[in-house]
Formats: sequence, C-alpha cells, structure tokens
Amino acid sequence: MLSRISRAASRGPSSKVSHTVTGYRSRRGIVQPSGADRASVVDLPSTYKDESHFTPRADMLGFKLGMPQREESLKEKVRPIYLDMQATTPVDPRVLDAMLPYLTDQYGNPHSRTHAYGWEAEQAVEDARKHVADLIAADPKEIIFTSGATETNNMAIKGVARFHKEKKKHVITTQTEHKCVLDSCRKLGEEGFDITYLPVQTNGVISLEELEAAIRPDTSLVSIMTVNNETGVIQPIKEIGALLRKHRGIYFHTDAAQAVGKIPVDVNEMNVDIMSISGHKLYGPKGVGVAYVRRRPRVRLEPILNGGGQERGLRSGTLPTALAVGIGEAARIAKKEMAVSTVSSFVLDDDYARSPFHASCYPSDLPFIQLSSGNDFRAGRDRAHVDALSKRLIEGINANVEHVVRNGDVAGYPGCINLSFSYVEGESLLMALKDIALSSGSACTSASLEPSYVLRALGAAEDMAHSSLRFGLGRFTTEAEVDFVIQQIVRTVHRLREMSPLWEMVQEGIDINSIDWSQSHN
Amino acid sequence: MPPSRRAILSLYQSTLRTSKSFSSYNFRNYFIRRAKGTFRAIQAESDPARVQSLYSEAVQELTVLRRSAIVNQLYGGWRLAVEDQKPERFRSDN
Ligand SMILES: Cc1ncc(COP(=O)(O)O)c(C=O)c1O
Repeated sequence: MLSRISRAASRGPSSKVSHTVTGYRSRRGIVQPSGADRASVVDLPSTYKDESHFTPRADMLGFKLGMPQREESLKEKVRPIYLDMQATTPVDPRVLDAMLPYLTDQYGNPHSRTHAYGWEAEQAVEDARKHVADLIAADPKEIIFTSGATETNNMAIKGVARFHKEKKKHVITTQTEHKCVLDSCRKLGEEGFDITYLPVQTNGVISLEELEAAIRPDTSLVSIMTVNNETGVIQPIKEIGALLRKHRGIYFHTDAAQAVGKIPVDVNEMNVDIMSISGHKLYGPKGVGVAYVRRRPRVRLEPILNGGGQERGLRSGTLPTALAVGIGEAARIAKKEMAVSTVSSFVLDDDYARSPFHASCYPSDLPFIQLSSGNDFRAGRDRAHVDALSKRLIEGINANVEHVVRNGDVAGYPGCINLSFSYVEGESLLMALKDIALSSGSACTSASLEPSYVLRALGAAEDMAHSSLRFGLGRFTTEAEVDFVIQQIVRTVHRLREMSPLWEMVQEGIDINSIDWSQSHN
Repeated sequence: MPPSRRAILSLYQSTLRTSKSFSSYNFRNYFIRRAKGTFRAIQAESDPARVQSLYSEAVQELTVLRRSAIVNQLYGGWRLAVEDQKPERFRSDN
C-alpha cells in the first residue's frame, strides 16, 4: 500500500495536494489527472510540408499511417475491417444526408430570430431535439445539446455536486466508469468532496445492497453508467433508479453513451435525472452529444459554460446546427431500427430473399435468434442483427480455440464482447491482426500498456487483463466480416501459442500458478 | 388505394439497385440487407392501409438512399481486407 502511494505521489506536480486528495489516492489509483501539466505542445517537424508529415508513433503498434490520396487507385490499398464500435461508429449515410443541407445553403444561426436563415435552422434543431427525446421517452424541453458525452458527464457531475455543495458533500460512482466520469470525480475530490467508488462483482454488475449501504444523508449525486464501454455489462439502472427514488434529494446520473440506440432506454421507467448521450456512438457525427436534464422534479445544476444563456442557460454557445441535426437523425433512425415490426424483418441468408416475391421464400420459418440474456425481449432489426453476429462470433471462437474467457456479464450488450485469450499477449495479438481494427479496451487506455482498470475491477488477473480483446459489432458489421475475424483469430492465437513456452507447459499439464517464478531467477 | 404488386416490385428493384451502388462495403451490404427486410415485411403485411404506409415510407427512403449513394461513391470505397477474400462476390453493377 505504501509503495502504491509513493508511486502515485511521484507521478507529477499535481501531487502537491491537500489531505483529501491523498485520502482519495490511497483508496484508488485508477485515474490519472488530466491537468494542464499533462498536456504537451508538439512542434511541427522542420520537414513539415503537408499532411504526409505523420510518422508512426510508438503506440501505433508498428502500424504505418499511409494517408491514401483519393486520386490513387482505390483498389491498391486494403483497409482493415472495423470492429471497434465502442470507440466510435461510422456515420450512417442517411444521417450525413440529413446534415448536408446545414453545411451548405442553410447555414443560419439557430438563435437568430430576425430572418429566415435563423428560423429554418432553429426548426431543424427543434426537430432534432424531438427525435432525441422520443428515443429516450423524454420531453424535448429536457434535451440539452452538448459537445459529447464527456462534456455532459462533466456538466452533470460537477454541476450537481457544486450546486449543492453547501449542504451535501458526497458523490457515489463505480470503479468501472468511463475515464471522464472518474476524472470529474477526482477533480471534485480535490475540491473537498467525498467520493465513494463502488466496487463491482466479478460479472461487472454493482450490488444494490452495497449501493444502499454507501448512501449517506449528504449524498447529492449517484453516477452509474448504463452499458460499460469495455465489457458491455449492463447495470440494473431501473432497480437503481427505484432505490434512489426512495431517498429524497439524491440525483441519479447515468452515462448512457453506449446504451442509447442499442438497448431500450426510458428515462421515466429508469427514474434517471440526468443522462449522457454521445452522437458518435449511435451512428451520428462526432463532436455532439446530449444531456437529458429532468424538469419535474427539477434538477438544479451549475453550468460549466456561461454566456448567452442558450439551452436553458445550462450550456451557452451557438448550437452547431448540422451536428444537432445529425444526432437527431441518428436517434430517429435508431428508434426506427429498434422498433419491433410485425414480421421479423431481417435476413440472415442471402438466398432467403433473392426475390421477395418468390413463393419459396415466404417468411414462415425465419431463424429466431435467442438473446444471450434469454429473456423474451423482442428485438428490432438492429439488435437482432447484432445478436446473430455476436452468437456467431462467440460460437465460432469457442469451437476453435480453448482457454478463452469472456469478461463481464454474459447478459450484457451483445455488440460488445470482451474476450481474454490465455497465454497470449493482447498487444502481440493486436499487432498480428493487422487486417482487423480492434482494441484491447477503451480508446484512451489501449495506447498504454497498463492493463485495463475496468477488467481489474472485475477481479481479472493481471495476465488475463493483458490478453483481452474487445470486439465491437454494430449495424454495419457483416457476417462475412465475423467469419473473417474468427478465421484470423483462430490462426493467430494458435500461432502465438505455439511460440509461447507457457503454452507448452500447459499442454504438458503443468499448473502455471504453482510455479514459483522468483526462485528460478535467483 | 394500396399500391399494386407491380409498383411494389418495381420500388424494390430500384431500392436494391441503389443499395448495390454504394462504394463502401459495409454500407452497401447493410442497405441491401435492409431493402430485403423492408420488402419482405411489406409482402407479409395483409392490412392494405399498413401496406400503403410502408410503401410510401419506402418511397421516401429511396430518395434519401439515392443521394447517400452518390455521396458515398464520391468519398467511399477503399477495399476492405474481407473483400479481397471473395473479390467477385459484392461487385456493384454501376
Ligand atoms: C461510456 C462512455 N462515456 C463517455 C464517452 C465519451 O464520449 P464523447 O466522445 O462523446 O465525449 C465514451 C466514449 O469514449 C463512452 O464509451
């Protein structure tokens, strides 16, 4: 424990802090501060001419950044397939189509009240607000546009805690939250707030009893994410919301960046007071997000950005019309694709619908996809597609590779599958899989060689946390891609294991954990 | 007046043709899959009013799809590793 503190303390100038921080540090060391001292200014190299000045960095795992020029033959460059839907999703072409008018002729400021340019932009923004509200069953007046889930999380956590700081000094969150939540809480800790970081069970879900036990009379905010971005674990938000309703004066914030548009979300059913949504996780553009802020009972928070008083005064600044339209259209499409139609309207097999009016392909015996959670929730087509791919991927890997562990609850969101391949190093695996864009965890931690704090919070052993890969499936992932991934993974894992002395020992039946490694070194 | 079988079939063919003209592998396959699904739902619908509304929705979506396909042809279309495996399988016909 002592060594842990001193290591943390020697990290940087920000260690010169009050005793509350030291208290926090000794309890948890999961976030690094993101202060100005950590920002670095990099000079352009003297050879700078154009965008080709990029050189591969060490953390690019040996990949080269070849900036393909559009004028070159498109056939020459082969790009990896994309399986990192938790980091970001591609912009749906229909979303781009909705945005383009506002990036060309309809460039008015939505806050201009004196001319048609302003009115049409305002109308577009209000329509978008309605689409987002519909997706989460909220009122359009409760939707605030922000720059992304990071801003919303900062605004919610710091805003609520600071507004109530006279009477309430306690905030509860979990150990597996996204960095931006943890770092906001760390900042509050520096300001003198008490933060409780709830542990999670080995399946990644928090325990309601522990949450209830952590509640204090001076608790102002509980922040628990809906779907985890590394493991896909879904927290029991509805139960948590019901529990917190019983305690007056506690606000409930949930980071639903990975949930909205993917699993059904209803702010009233879940009793959520503030919710974070990110545009680029639901096939919308980057740089836009939404804060749902409940109006009845009213949630009071201190805005971070002050200014013209736009967005109910909670987030001043001119709205980016095109981006707002983008997240709105993305929400509209997500809602539509999540709706259950009377007929199961997805097609797994190409032959099924070569001609939809061919008698032999009438949908009487459609394949029914069992959800991993086994409940009777009927899936819309997006979800049914992801479910089918997820099942295919898991079964394909299970059938061909042994010693694979799935991290996190099996009833989690099936579009996020976190697997650990024993006796293989995650980074070597990633490097060998150059035709697949994958990550070993969240985008912000995958560059560092430290194992993921989320997996450690689930109690994963260090080596298992090191050998994890996250497979992100989505609307645009195809079956052929999943088959390609299975084939590549199987081949690479077998090859890497053949080179591993540990694997050889396992094959010989030696229990690795029983070996005293230190002795053989001395 | 619900649309005729012929009108539905013709709309289906246009939607499918437009979907196939996307340059990007993932978008192309998604919209082909989606077109098939949408039209199977129309085909399986027995309520004429529902058929009418699904049909007009599909007409609307086709206009969006046409514009999106043009933009995608301008900016999309690098080959993915998975396409190299079966080069002849997903060629568009434009
Ligand atoms: C759970 C979660 N919260 C917040 C974020 C950050 O969102 P944004 O990029 O919109 O700021 C992400 C994505 O990285 C996320 O996965």
